[in-house]
Amino acid sequence: MNTVRELFVNSTSRFPDNPAVIEGDIRITYKELASITDSLSSFLYSKGLKKGDAVSILLPNSIEFVAAFFAISNLGAISVPINTAYKKEEISFYVKHSLSNIILAEGKLKPLLDEIFKEGDVRIAVVKGDYSEWGISSPDVHGFNPPAIDSSDEAIYLYSTGSTGRPKRVSRTHKNLVALADNHTETVGWTDKDRILFTVPISHTYGFGNFISAVKIGALIYVINEFNRNHVLDLLEKELITVFPAVPVMLDVLAKTYLPEPKDLSSLKLVLSAGAPLPERTFRAFRDKYGVYPRQLYGSSETGVISINLGAGIEGTFNSVGRPVKNVVVEIRDENGNKLALNEVGEIAVKSPSMTTTGYYGLPEETEAVFKNGYYFTGDLGRIDEDGFIYITGRKKLFINISGNKVDPVEVENILLMHDSIKEAAVLGITDNGGSESVKAVIVCDGELKREDIIKFCRDRVSEFKIPRIIEFRDELPRSPTGKVLREELK
Amino acid sequence: MGTEDRVKKILTENSLKGVSPEELRVDTPLIEYGVGLDSVATLALLVALEEEFQIRIDESGITSETFETIQSISNHVNSIVQGAF
Repeated sequence: MNTVRELFVNSTSRFPDNPAVIEGDIRITYKELASITDSLSSFLYSKGLKKGDAVSILLPNSIEFVAAFFAISNLGAISVPINTAYKKEEISFYVKHSLSNIILAEGKLKPLLDEIFKEGDVRIAVVKGDYSEWGISSPDVHGFNPPAIDSSDEAIYLYSTGSTGRPKRVSRTHKNLVALADNHTETVGWTDKDRILFTVPISHTYGFGNFISAVKIGALIYVINEFNRNHVLDLLEKELITVFPAVPVMLDVLAKTYLPEPKDLSSLKLVLSAGAPLPERTFRAFRDKYGVYPRQLYGSSETGVISINLGAGIEGTFNSVGRPVKNVVVEIRDENGNKLALNEVGEIAVKSPSMTTTGYYGLPEETEAVFKNGYYFTGDLGRIDEDGFIYITGRKKLFINISGNKVDPVEVENILLMHDSIKEAAVLGITDNGGSESVKAVIVCDGELKREDIIKFCRDRVSEFKIPRIIEFRDELPRSPTGKVLREELK
Repeated sequence: MGTEDRVKKILTENSLKGVSPEELRVDTPLIEYGVGLDSVATLALLVALEEEFQIRIDESGITSETFETIQSISNHVNSIVQGAF
């Protein structure tokens, strides 16, 4: 298999009667998914979508999202998944920066999209909910002409949060995505009998990697859009879920949730934790309550999955992100790029067939800084032990981790500086004793500004997890002789 | 320690880390501090309240008004505690 289409057709033809996606009361097989996808490809083709065009997917975890990704790939176009929790400024950035020709969206976002995009900017096609022009029951009346697709053609744009004020666009090819699915599934040993619960967004690299891997192997994708802990526990038990990708705060909440009766989660063979470090208390509490160990997964938008901790001795290695997945090489390098010995701490560098080969779009300096001699320098600090287990010990990059969501402090600063009364702003992460981070903003303003003014201003412009929770007003920011803000003095 | 003070303690240990308890009155609008914005953080707060008061809070009974103030959270907690008896 060399392309996403081949991966998809391979699964739909090998497992036609396997359950493919469940969303609420709707259950579809792989054969039905293939029909729905072809119908959507035809719809997109009739709207003029061509090979090389970009399509923003602004859909929740849904049958429509799954179909959209493969429908776009059928036409050799490029998917740009966007989190539906994003606000006006963020959506506008991703759609425009990716040069998307079409946005596939849910009906309830249409009023917002109409507000953001003028006629002719980009075509908005509603494919779910109210105002839909196409739906999963729509017959395939148009047909489409699939173009020739090469494995080196671009298949998806993902965005990586950095400290430059704007997310960086990462392009991954068909070959990259097929390799990702191969590396992942061959490492974890999934089969077509697996049933995977997606409450993490498939629009994000973590959810996306698990999703394409699930399709490759013919497994079931059970989608929900809200983390309601009792609903999640009910599904894990009643739907005999075998794999649950999660983030630490979800696992912590589930471990602490009061249960009137015990839950039988004996079907659950793999619980993944990614996005943020897994605290020991959460690891043990979840295991004690549900009888299964959470296992850390490490990855990035630039590379896809890097490692998973599947070790038998998980009790002693719970804080490791595991060994590299198949075909991925991880090394620890010093400041000069030289490889370090076992257990020496340095920067984690990754070489992977699922890694972007073109770096960051439009950012040659940033690309050159982190992609060197076939390796991606992650900006994470860590070490590798004698058994090959990777431990992340810190980070070089300046971002804040809010329950697995990366927040670029410079992006939030730029938003704050758009306020007429704010003269200067510095944003940083504050870590509590339990290891959780909060966004703090230190603000110098003209005149009177209250905390609620700041919150409301941010709320209208950025996703909620980026909104500062701790706000401090000062007369000036501490700066070095060269004018750089001394963030350490703001903690 | 009354319900309101215990709720304040839970807030300053969870959603409102870094905020001084003295800064919060029972009727201070918590939205000013970002409480209730983030669904996952709200769940973490729910769980902390459950542990503190040894009660079970049904998420379906939670509205945006529940987290408006320390008083509204306390009222909700008290309704569950009293309902248990």
